[in-house]
Amino acid sequence: AVLSCHRSYRSRPTHGIGRYKYLLPKEGPKRKKERVQMKEISPGTEFEFGDVNIQMTSYDLCLVEHFAQYVHRLCNRLGIRVIESYAMPTKTNEVLFLEERGSKMQLDAVLTTHQRVVQIRGLSSTFAPILLEMIQSSQPEGVHLLMKQHTEADFKRRLKSRPELEELLAQMS
Amino acid sequence: LCSFSSCSSWLPQRVPLRGNHWQSSLLTPRTALPVRAQPKKKKKVDVKREQAQKDRMKKKLKKLERAAPELIPIEDFITPLKYSDGSRVRSLPPLSPEETERRVLLLKKWCLFKQRQDEAEKKAIQTLVESQQEALKELRLESEELYQAAIRRDEGLFPFEREGPTYTPPLPGYDPPEGKCVDITKVYTQ
Repeated sequence: AVLSCHRSYRSRPTHGIGRYKYLLPKEGPKRKKERVQMKEISPGTEFEFGDVNIQMTSYDLCLVEHFAQYVHRLCNRLGIRVIESYAMPTKTNEVLFLEERGSKMQLDAVLTTHQRVVQIRGLSSTFAPILLEMIQSSQPEGVHLLMKQHTEADFKRRLKSRPELEELLAQMS
Repeated sequence: LCSFSSCSSWLPQRVPLRGNHWQSSLLTPRTALPVRAQPKKKKKVDVKREQAQKDRMKKKLKKLERAAPELIPIEDFITPLKYSDGSRVRSLPPLSPEETERRVLLLKKWCLFKQRQDEAEKKAIQTLVESQQEALKELRLESEELYQAAIRRDEGLFPFEREGPTYTPPLPGYDPPEGKCVDITKVYTQ
């Protein structure tokens, strides 16, 4: 009895008849989950500021989002390099007030504070006051503006806290 | 022990009491040398146990450190589930032609207004930059030193804080009711 083989013979014209992977576009190396790593903070030179954070805080979400978008677009237009534009975690506050006739605290409102950050690099020292002026003149109501140098602590505030790791470290040392 | 105490009674005072070989020195009668067999075992086991504990802790630490730190999820970007219900659909009433005409004209007026605003802003930036450059040029002609000092970056500029303008600024003589603010932000841990 002749065995029926499904092997393709290199001499036969039907060799490699089932191939199709070579026709598909190249996928590239499989990307593992990208680790959240802090980008290097540049200190800046004598004539240029390093990484500057423009932080906008407000109770109103839409205003702060639109203002952040406006600032980002302004920086793009003026040729200032924007490294990152992200949102800080939202903070929720419960406002309680004491009733006039009574000792019980009554819930007044639940306020959410939103914060957006636009990070820029390479702001020249002569242009910085002009940029400040433009951002200030278009600052909407209720939006608190803060511009400061970027530090590692600012980055750490975005990350989740790890109490177990800290406990272990405290125990080890 | 009672036998030793009895023999101490007839010994002259000068001879030190060396009968009790568990006493390490004359000066410390209370403390005694550790008894031979048991405590050494305890020591070994203790050291081993401690080592094992330390190793376990180090392993745990390494495992935790290997895990990448995660960003806190932002609640603003997560739509609450009640809004993902597809059954609620808004039906708008049909608009009359006059209304559409009015809206289109209003939109055009708004576009024009925004364009003028944007152009004014660009012009303002340009004039500021130009005047600054001119001033710096004149300063350079005046004195090179001052020019170099002016070019340097201003350390006092950052941090810069400013509150936005308000429709209803705080009243001067207002006495607010007593109360407190409680922070109920959700704490995320990894």
